[in-house]
Amino acid sequence: MSAVLQSLIDQPYQHGFVTDIESDTVPKGLDESVIRMISLKKNEPAWLLDFRLGAYRHWLTMTEPTWPNVHYPKIDFQDISYYSAPKPKAKLASMDEVDPELLRTFEKLGVPLHERAALAGVAVDVIFDSVSVATTYKKKLAEVGVIFCSFSEAVHEHPELVRRYLGTVIPSADNFYAALNSAVFTDGSFCFIPRGVKCPMELSTYFRINTQESGQFERTLIIAEEGASVSYLEGCTAPRFDTNQLHAAVVELVALDNADIKYSTVQNWYAGDENGLGGIYNFVTKRGLCKGVNSRISWTQVETGSAITWKYPSCILLGDNSVGEFYSVALTNHYQQADTGTKMIHVGRNTRSTIVSKGISAGHSSNSYRGLVKIGPRAEGARNYSQCDSMLIGQQCSASTFPYLQVQNHTAKVEHEATTSRIGEEQLFYFASRGIGNEEAVSMIINGFVKDVFTQLPMEFAVEAGRLLGLKLEGSVG
Amino acid sequence: MNDVGHPFLRGLLARRSPLTPTTPTAPTAPSVSWLLALRAEALERGSTLAVPTTRDEDWRFTDLVPLTRTGFGPVTAAPSLGADALAPFHIPEAGARLVFVDGCFSAPLSVIAAQGGGLFAGSLAAAFHTHDELLHTHLTRLADFRDDAFMAVNTAHLHDGALIVAEAGHAVPQPVHVLHISTLADVAIHPRLLVVAYRDSDLTVIEDHVSLHHGACLSNAVSEIAVAAGARVRHIKLQRAGKAAFHVATTTTHVERDARYHAVGIALGARLSRENLHVVQAGTGTDCQLDGLALIGGRQIADTHSFVDHALPDGTSCQLHKCIAAGAAHAVFNGRVLVREGAQRTNSAQQCRSLLLSGKAHIDAKPQLEIFADDVKCSHGAAIGQLEADEVFYLRTRGLDEVAARNILTYAFAAEIVGRIPVRSVVERLRAEVLQQTGAREIA
Repeated sequence: MSAVLQSLIDQPYQHGFVTDIESDTVPKGLDESVIRMISLKKNEPAWLLDFRLGAYRHWLTMTEPTWPNVHYPKIDFQDISYYSAPKPKAKLASMDEVDPELLRTFEKLGVPLHERAALAGVAVDVIFDSVSVATTYKKKLAEVGVIFCSFSEAVHEHPELVRRYLGTVIPSADNFYAALNSAVFTDGSFCFIPRGVKCPMELSTYFRINTQESGQFERTLIIAEEGASVSYLEGCTAPRFDTNQLHAAVVELVALDNADIKYSTVQNWYAGDENGLGGIYNFVTKRGLCKGVNSRISWTQVETGSAITWKYPSCILLGDNSVGEFYSVALTNHYQQADTGTKMIHVGRNTRSTIVSKGISAGHSSNSYRGLVKIGPRAEGARNYSQCDSMLIGQQCSASTFPYLQVQNHTAKVEHEATTSRIGEEQLFYFASRGIGNEEAVSMIINGFVKDVFTQLPMEFAVEAGRLLGLKLEGSVG
Repeated sequence: MNDVGHPFLRGLLARRSPLTPTTPTAPTAPSVSWLLALRAEALERGSTLAVPTTRDEDWRFTDLVPLTRTGFGPVTAAPSLGADALAPFHIPEAGARLVFVDGCFSAPLSVIAAQGGGLFAGSLAAAFHTHDELLHTHLTRLADFRDDAFMAVNTAHLHDGALIVAEAGHAVPQPVHVLHISTLADVAIHPRLLVVAYRDSDLTVIEDHVSLHHGACLSNAVSEIAVAAGARVRHIKLQRAGKAAFHVATTTTHVERDARYHAVGIALGARLSRENLHVVQAGTGTDCQLDGLALIGGRQIADTHSFVDHALPDGTSCQLHKCIAAGAAHAVFNGRVLVREGAQRTNSAQQCRSLLLSGKAHIDAKPQLEIFADDVKCSHGAAIGQLEADEVFYLRTRGLDEVAARNILTYAFAAEIVGRIPVRSVVERLRAEVLQQTGAREIA
């Protein structure tokens, strides 16, 4: 590999800093009393405590999954603090009241919150560690009946909705990390789009892990009623630490008849240094349920961070004619490991799914696509198309694909394609012969490679995602 | 030994055929000690290993419970078979023919190629006297039984089998036919094949498993194929076992520098069949082609697991596997391609195409690419579907009825693989069989 490529992929993490805000943190360790304390601190109703305890008791019987193609030292779940929150303050009515330290943090990230909100018309529910501290544009959303608030707020103000849908897509005993999350989740986002409403703006939330050695367990629940539609954006960065931080979020989406949910993620958590020291463990369970007819759930993700990513945003296509989509760019560098993909479970008739996955590996990293397409016996006329391409930069990295295709209905049509390529010296030479420098050439090749996915991102996110890939690989992306 | 391992495996290991001598050959044979040691080790491993379940990743789609519920005895007497019974399986092109009846080598039915003339084709038991050094070097060296229950059981029973050796620089003009005929129900047999193709030799081997009865039986086969530098080996495996038979087979092939290996596997029979194909490209510039077809109906299960290991640079592999599942059949394909670190300029293409002909049939496909080198061209594709309505319609406009149109299309789908067999009479016979299987089927 040329020195040019090497220097391009060795860009240091630019978001590595620690914000010093006083935190309210419980001691390390996990037992029923910790769960009761979390529940008490959050002033939760009894049914939610029961949900947590049930999940915890089931979690005790489970073992960590070992099937992913990732390697890391065993996690000591008793060495983690399960709750941390900025000191409680009075509810904030405007951006001016937000802690200036916090605002500076976002500015360092290059995400001027107020400017973004004003220019793009985006309502931002800022999550700093585990508790929401600021919510904007709430009124505007309330006018059309959209509920967009922190999860804890939803538990108090809309308990019937939370209770009806919580755990219906991802049962508390679904997998090891989902069970852990169900037991100890602290906060997250709740979004409810009532019947027939097209959400008037893109909803976005910034997640950020701040306190050292505190795992973060968000819980997100999005419900789109009949004929509703929403586009939800989630973006993440985290400060630089040397001890690994565990992140085990759960995201549940429910789409009823004719509803449409678009969920986009840009993830740039700290990935560890160039020797593989530190970084976030990102063990996330994301699943959408296309419950109603003609419903549609679309996942778009740009995964550039985390030391380890273990993430399979999935769709259960239950309603007839429902549509599931998964567009993913996963970039790994240095010693990062990513095992990511999707599951498309076709249950209803004429259900369709599309999977486009682009993996880029550099350095010593390992990048795996793992996906399941399952066509159930009732899924007449189901259709799936999957494409997963890998790009390798350097000789020490690896790219793997593990697609599972299970077809139980003969009227279904399932197609899967995968290719592997690299940025070759010849390609760079060709660009050079046309007067295009190496840096720009790499940027153009990468951009071309991920284009199919980036066109799925909402405008403002596509810009940020392009910048992220630039930071990670090329230094500057046009 | 009785409280570990799996009762099914213990049964297979305990009920050894009286035909298996306690010493492998005559006491004077030089092989006695190493072979006895091997068998003892395999017996010990087989007694401790478990029968894989659907919780094991390698067996997640194929449930072996129907197999382990069935009891199999040993072959107690060498069955005799008249030469006329062979007629339907005769391959006129074949030069040498090794016939095994219920796992026992039948000298009268076989046409062996003795030493000289560049080819040796004979029984392993006899070769322990004549080829001790070769067997010591190659036998069980490629197929490691230590982690595989079926291979351990096979090795524990190892006393005979087929040995085919092509001398260096010698192109064997006629294919060698290894024919396994099953005549007895309720028995387990453990066929063994060793092929050694020395430098720059050229060899075609047809491994043929047929059945003369419809009872349950288990064929647990292991084949090892060593392809030395510059050699070319074509390996055709025909699995035409009875519809109640169980067939579990592992073929391990080592391909050395600039050598070429072409395998065609056709699975038509057996209630449950499992083919493990393991190809190691152990030299630079190797070329390997794997073609497979599973054509099944009723309640048949056909499972193919292939693993192509690109260990060194400049290797090429090309794989096309097709499944046709009718009735309530279940086809499984797991194709793993590994490109190891340093295996630069590897060029690998894999395709799996499957046809589902009925509402109850199902298919599980898992192509798998693991790449640890950057300068490679690798692709895989998998497609599962039914016959194109447009194509059926086109044939109907030409005056064919629905059933005939669908059968012709199904036949054409299968014929692509059958046509790749380099032995004409086999192609013709298989075409007839495929046509018969597709033609006999009602439209679901």
